[in-house]
Amino acid sequence: MSVKKNVQQAARQLYKLSFVDGRLTQEQVAGVLAYVEKTKPADSLALLKAYQRLIAAEVARNQAVVEHAGSVSPETLQSVASSLSKTYQRPITATARPNPALLAGLRVRVGDDVYENSLASQLSQLGSNV
Amino acid sequence: MRPFLSVAPFFVMLSSLIVFAEATTNAVAAAPSSGLSDTVTKIAGDFGVTVPAVLAQVVNFSIVAAILWFVAFKPVMASIQERQEKIQAGLKYAEDMKAQLAAAQQESAGVIKTAHAEATRLIEESRRTAKEVVEKSQKEAVDRANDLIQKAQQAIELEHRKMLAETRTEIARLVVATTERVLSKHLSETDRAAYNEAAARELTSA
Repeated sequence: MSVKKNVQQAARQLYKLSFVDGRLTQEQVAGVLAYVEKTKPADSLALLKAYQRLIAAEVARNQAVVEHAGSVSPETLQSVASSLSKTYQRPITATARPNPALLAGLRVRVGDDVYENSLASQLSQLGSNV
Repeated sequence: MRPFLSVAPFFVMLSSLIVFAEATTNAVAAAPSSGLSDTVTKIAGDFGVTVPAVLAQVVNFSIVAAILWFVAFKPVMASIQERQEKIQAGLKYAEDMKAQLAAAQQESAGVIKTAHAEATRLIEESRRTAKEVVEKSQKEAVDRANDLIQKAQQAIELEHRKMLAETRTEIARLVVATTERVLSKHLSETDRAAYNEAAARELTSA
């Protein structure tokens, strides 16, 4: 077995240890990091990078980035989050990110999925349809 | 026939001398019977014409004539005959040549006629071939020109469509860019918030 595969396997084990009741918790992640810092395994840098990639992907899976032009109320964000949680059958939190290029409207990104309803997308679609 | 004619003058002259000698002899013999005979006899005596002399002259003449006949006249006649034969042969050769010339002329006329017919046929065939080649070339040229025209028309049509599409795309891009610029300037915060709320409702209801 190569070193890279060992690192990936160890990172997956640490990743599994970061969940409590199927949910990623901050405390578990901090505990995993403290363990790595304490034991200092071989190729710890590669291990931490692989672990970070897995955690980031999981965070992205559970986080909806809502890009918007103009103001968005917290109620709107909450409604988007609850709708997506219902769609994906898992708890998803919404994070607002301003994007003036949208002109008006929203672009929601959950993992690799993108939902968009904005003036910029409609204009772009209009331009491509002409 | 020819040798008789060649010897004839000699016998004529010889017979004349014999007749003249006989007449003189007869005159001498008949002289006592008449005055005329005496006169003749006297004249013959004056001139020395006697039978022996005449006979001697005849013999001499015969000898000279024979010598002339065999030494001069016969070779000359032989030469003349040879020349005559040569002339005859030449004339015959000329006749043959004339006949051969006529035959050759006739043959050459036939050859010329055949060659003329062949030349006429070749010329006609060449004209027909040239005409066919010209017609074929013209047809190919016309086909090629039509093909080029058709291809050019297709190229023009494609270019026209491409230009229209590019123009449409460019106009759409300009319209979108202008609209975006106008909207970004003139959309108020309230309008954006209202649009955001509507977009959120649409996303959550979908």
